[in-house]
Amino acid sequence: MSDSPVTREIPHVRVWDAPTRLFHWAVVILIFISWLSADQGLMTIHLCSGLTLLALLLFRIGWGIVGSATARFSDFLHPPRKVVAYLRGLAGGDRQLYAGHNPAGGLMVVAMIAVLLAQAMTGLFSNDGLHFTGPLALLVSDDASTWLTTLHATIFNVILLFVWCHVVAVGFYVFVKGDNLVKAMFTGHKPYTHVPADAQVFFARSYVAFLLLLLVLTIGGVGWFIIQGGFLL
Amino acid sequence: MMLERESQSDLLQRLCCQAQSRRQFVSWGAGGLGAFFMSTAHAAQQPSTSSGLTFKRDPSTPLSVLPPQFPAKVKRVIYLHMGGAPSQLELFDHKPTLSRFNGHDCPQSFLKGKRFAFIRGVPKMLGPMFPFHQTGKNGTWISDRLPHTERLIDDLCLIKSMKTDQFNHAPAQLLVQTGDARTGHASLGSWVTYGLGSENQNLPGFIVLASSGPGPTANAGKPLWGSGFLPSVYQGVECRSAGEPVLYLNNPHDVSRAQRRHVLDAVDEINRQTHAEFGNPETVARIAQYELAFRMQVEATEAMDIRREPAAVLARYGAEPGKTSYANNCLVARRLAERGVRFIQLYHWGWDSHGSPTDEGINIGFVNRCRETDQPTAALLADLKSRGLLEDTLVIWGGEFGRTPMEDNHGGSNEISKYIGRDHHTAAFTIWMTGGGVKSGMVYGETDDMGYEVVKDPVEVRDLHATILYLLGFDYQKLNYPYQGLDQKLTGVKPARVVSEILA
Amino acid sequence: MSAPAYFGGVTVVTALGIAAAMFLRPAFGHTVLQWIGLESIPQAAPSSFYTVRVAPLLEAHCTSCHGAERQKAELRLDSFAAVLRGGKHGAVVMPGAARDSSLFTRITLPVTDDRAMPPSGKTPLNKDEITVIRLWLAAGASGTLPVKAIKGAPALVVPVKMPELDLAAVRRQRAPLAHEVSRLQRRFPGVIHYDSRSSADIEVDASLKGAAFGDDDLDALVPLRDRIVSANLSGTAVTDASAPLLASMKALRVLRLMNTKTTDATVQALASSKTLKVLAVAKATPGTLAPLRQRGVRVYEDLDVR
Repeated sequence: MSDSPVTREIPHVRVWDAPTRLFHWAVVILIFISWLSADQGLMTIHLCSGLTLLALLLFRIGWGIVGSATARFSDFLHPPRKVVAYLRGLAGGDRQLYAGHNPAGGLMVVAMIAVLLAQAMTGLFSNDGLHFTGPLALLVSDDASTWLTTLHATIFNVILLFVWCHVVAVGFYVFVKGDNLVKAMFTGHKPYTHVPADAQVFFARSYVAFLLLLLVLTIGGVGWFIIQGGFLL
Repeated sequence: MMLERESQSDLLQRLCCQAQSRRQFVSWGAGGLGAFFMSTAHAAQQPSTSSGLTFKRDPSTPLSVLPPQFPAKVKRVIYLHMGGAPSQLELFDHKPTLSRFNGHDCPQSFLKGKRFAFIRGVPKMLGPMFPFHQTGKNGTWISDRLPHTERLIDDLCLIKSMKTDQFNHAPAQLLVQTGDARTGHASLGSWVTYGLGSENQNLPGFIVLASSGPGPTANAGKPLWGSGFLPSVYQGVECRSAGEPVLYLNNPHDVSRAQRRHVLDAVDEINRQTHAEFGNPETVARIAQYELAFRMQVEATEAMDIRREPAAVLARYGAEPGKTSYANNCLVARRLAERGVRFIQLYHWGWDSHGSPTDEGINIGFVNRCRETDQPTAALLADLKSRGLLEDTLVIWGGEFGRTPMEDNHGGSNEISKYIGRDHHTAAFTIWMTGGGVKSGMVYGETDDMGYEVVKDPVEVRDLHATILYLLGFDYQKLNYPYQGLDQKLTGVKPARVVSEILA
Repeated sequence: MSAPAYFGGVTVVTALGIAAAMFLRPAFGHTVLQWIGLESIPQAAPSSFYTVRVAPLLEAHCTSCHGAERQKAELRLDSFAAVLRGGKHGAVVMPGAARDSSLFTRITLPVTDDRAMPPSGKTPLNKDEITVIRLWLAAGASGTLPVKAIKGAPALVVPVKMPELDLAAVRRQRAPLAHEVSRLQRRFPGVIHYDSRSSADIEVDASLKGAAFGDDDLDALVPLRDRIVSANLSGTAVTDASAPLLASMKALRVLRLMNTKTTDATVQALASSKTLKVLAVAKATPGTLAPLRQRGVRVYEDLDVR
């Protein structure tokens, strides 16, 4: 396509559904809120953002099973050989197109969800040595809770590293490959030139998302009730 | 109604049922359980703990000597327990500031959030009732109530920063004597005889001598010198300093010692058969106790007989043979120390100076208690010292808690009572120790200007216990007895520390 | 943009980011520099005032929240380098100025202040401990200054060290005389004991035997004489005849001879003992005991005439 003074609107293809996009940016905001609140000692906010993150992560995992095509794990989880092959291709300049996450991106997604989940779960059992304890801290021994707290602090550094990797990788696509993934994650659309020609993206119905969210919140609510009521102690 | 004739089978059944009496059922059952028991009985006989120290002994000599874990500073303990809690503010803890506040209302900061035994509402502060002065090489403050003990002040180590968490007599006495405020735990003397045995096999290793002013005596009773979960052979034996040393020790009027021996031989034989059958280690302990009692008939009578002491010695103590008194008990304590008794405990009750009745007034009863105990205590210490026994004896003097800087207002009645008193005080009290391994002429710990809280070097009861065990040559964590799934310790489960600053 | 340009840019931005972090958080800065090796890691000498007096205090009161497990306010106090490094709010130590060091100011805040350290719920430092830290800071927060160089520090309370029980080593120590000890224990029940479970030293206590224990019996203990640290022969039938044996006991620290027929002769024989610390004798003529007392031996004389 040549550049012409009359900008011709390039047809876009819808690739990301709303739940996935909302999830992504909510997690970004919540990571920052969790980081800042922990740094400033605002533990109530930290607890709330952490629990919200946990709920969203559980939602995402569920959505990865019943959600839209590009959101499903089956879409972007590839065997290691495929990831290596993809990366080789990238380095070699091969033109590889994916509607949703590419194999490397898929790996990043899984790694990120895993590490965030680990962070949220260790957070549940953490204590700050003084007056604040996570909701499940009393279910384990003091020593176990302290160990999990140290783990919680260590995993934070891993998260920072992953976030850096992720930003650098996305930046590579945006600046080097000209593939604006950030805009895509906002609008949900990619130019059709960046999507495989035969891409057929199935989108799940909205009510499925609502039901899944309701399920996660119910489980969370019941769990909260059990913990607050001290039934597990 | 016609009774049916019993058929043959019915008859047999009835006889069978009669033969199977409950007793027999239990003994058959025990046979099965007994086998089970035997395997655990051996374990119980030879307690071994994770510390590596075993206290295994021949069951027929449960008090045989065992060396301490590391070289000890003292071999024996004489514990002078002043039951009811003597007022430290009238004896050792000099508080001139408190005098200035005498009669003033007690500040809220002392009352807020606290529970008292008898004080209600807002009591008045009570200044020291007796004058204090300085004495000894180090200018130690002491009141005028203990003129005899005062002369030995340079030998004593005063601990003014004792703390407890029990404000009633029985649990507080149990805490001090057994390490726990509830019954069921072994007393200090039991732990010591369990760990070290006793040198004189003809006397109990742990002897208790009690005396009192008029009024109630041991609030916590015999558990104070009980063996708790330790084998019962280690319990304290209460002896009397007037009349028979141990009740029912001597033979009845027409029974000779030889006859007693015959009886014992027979009883021993039966017990031995029972032991062979059931293997209960307590049976062996019982045999040993009968034998000990037999030997004690001679030796205890001689040991406790203070008439054998010269008149000069009796006068030094203020002892009167034939009476029960603290003075007599002190003299007996010295004699027992000379005869290899490991743990000698004296109780003198009646120090609970609440202010009513008469005997509990600081201006009356307390004065009498001081007079009853001061001279004999000093005489005991002087005698131990001159015989070189203080080198390896530990003497401890103290009560179970202190007394409040506020006047006991008898439940808020505010009536002007002519009997002045103080209520129970857990936050600070004073004891003293002397003997091998303890610094002389030392004052450890301080309370605030009103004598309410400890401000320097607090010593919990378990710290005191840890220190006593250290002087006897034990790491308090390693003197254990496995019971109810725990390696039990005198100091309990909370961390304790040996008060190293008072060690010589 | 080309890939190399992009990754070059990433490297620059990342480096700038780390530099900014190092500037904003000096503690992090020191960590990075020390990790790279551009800065030497401060060490404290083992016999320095810091190691002997200050470090144990920090370990007892601070490192549970400012140490390996937790680093509250990004501060660690579990090593000399870490103490100097400081935390989120900068350095906690101003060498030479206790009043400007938050390590000092925080521990001297009133208990009701939110920022008081240790926070409420933990045992605060007592007066002596605060003095130790103040003196250390005032003397320059050094890691090399020896203990004695700082004057006026409150006395160090050394916690009591409980000796470990090494049964195998004790068995080895006892082995040479073990056979003799058992034999003599059987011959004289209740008289011979080891003085503790952790040593091969022996205590002899024949006082309860009374007249049944005499010179001949004591003589039987000759094989053990170099191991005997304490001998209680009060009330026995031992006489001056045993004096040479008693004087030859190389390890004897405590000897009791009250209520025996021993005389000054025994006391004089013992005058040459280098190890004797406590001596209790029967009546002695005045003056005989003086030389022993002068040497620091605690002597007790039998004053009750029997």
